[in-house]
Amino acid sequence: MLYALCFLLFVIGLYCTVVKKNLVKIVLGIVIMEYSVDLFLIMLGYRFGGVAPVVDRTMFDQQTGKIAAGFLNSSVDPLPQALVLTSIVVGLGSLALMISLCIRIYAKYGTFDVTQIRRLKG
Amino acid sequence: MKKEKQNSDTQQTSLPVPSSQGMTIVVKTVSSWLKVLIFLFGIYIILSGDLGPGGGFAGGVILALSYVLLMLAFGREFAEKNLPRTLAARLYYCGALTFAIIAILGIPFGGAFLSNFLIGKFGEPLTILGGGTLPLSNIAIAFNVGASLYLVILSLSVCCKGKECKFE
Repeated sequence: MLYALCFLLFVIGLYCTVVKKNLVKIVLGIVIMEYSVDLFLIMLGYRFGGVAPVVDRTMFDQQTGKIAAGFLNSSVDPLPQALVLTSIVVGLGSLALMISLCIRIYAKYGTFDVTQIRRLKG
Repeated sequence: MKKEKQNSDTQQTSLPVPSSQGMTIVVKTVSSWLKVLIFLFGIYIILSGDLGPGGGFAGGVILALSYVLLMLAFGREFAEKNLPRTLAARLYYCGALTFAIIAILGIPFGGAFLSNFLIGKFGEPLTILGGGTLPLSNIAIAFNVGASLYLVILSLSVCCKGKECKFE
């Protein structure tokens, strides 16, 4: 059920990208789609009633070097969280590129309307 | 009628004037206290990367945000004098180079690429000093991400309406 809500967020972003005529709103739709996929990846590794995947000194046995079994049974998967952190930073870089393209288009054409940006201008 | 026209010509607009003027003195005073706290918070998040949430990426973004606050409150030229573009570019690629060197040094000392060969040497594991190569690589990534985000926002703020996008 929660995964369907993530899909709904993706469809909202897709609607913004396809239907809207303002260039900035199209960029916002692309960003919403990126973040919905990141949210879906984090929710895949979630466990209901779990704890954060942070190991304290108390859970770490010094002699054998093993982590307590209770923590392993109840912690949330940390691997999707690490990968999604990288993905968010990559999305930030692509957003910077899209914004700079919008600025250059506005400098050349004088408008953000997609239906009026038709011919190439040098 | 003439006096009104003269007043409206010399009146300052309420929109934020780009790049050189900055904001009022109240905003300047408060933000000059606040940017140091934001920078300190960023350093805390970087160094507690292996003990809790955080690490290089998030801490680097927060470090760059303190300079964005400086840019908004004081104007872009002040922020550029504080941290020039050449120095920011040097921090950017020195951070990436340091991370690559730490990763490659794992092969002769630890046996695998990116292996943690310093863990437990300077202190207990799961403290800051005993983390090994983890805090060092966090600091390198924070330099990389922070400097690059600062350069991106500085370059985007050059473009004003009606003028060409160029550094003077």
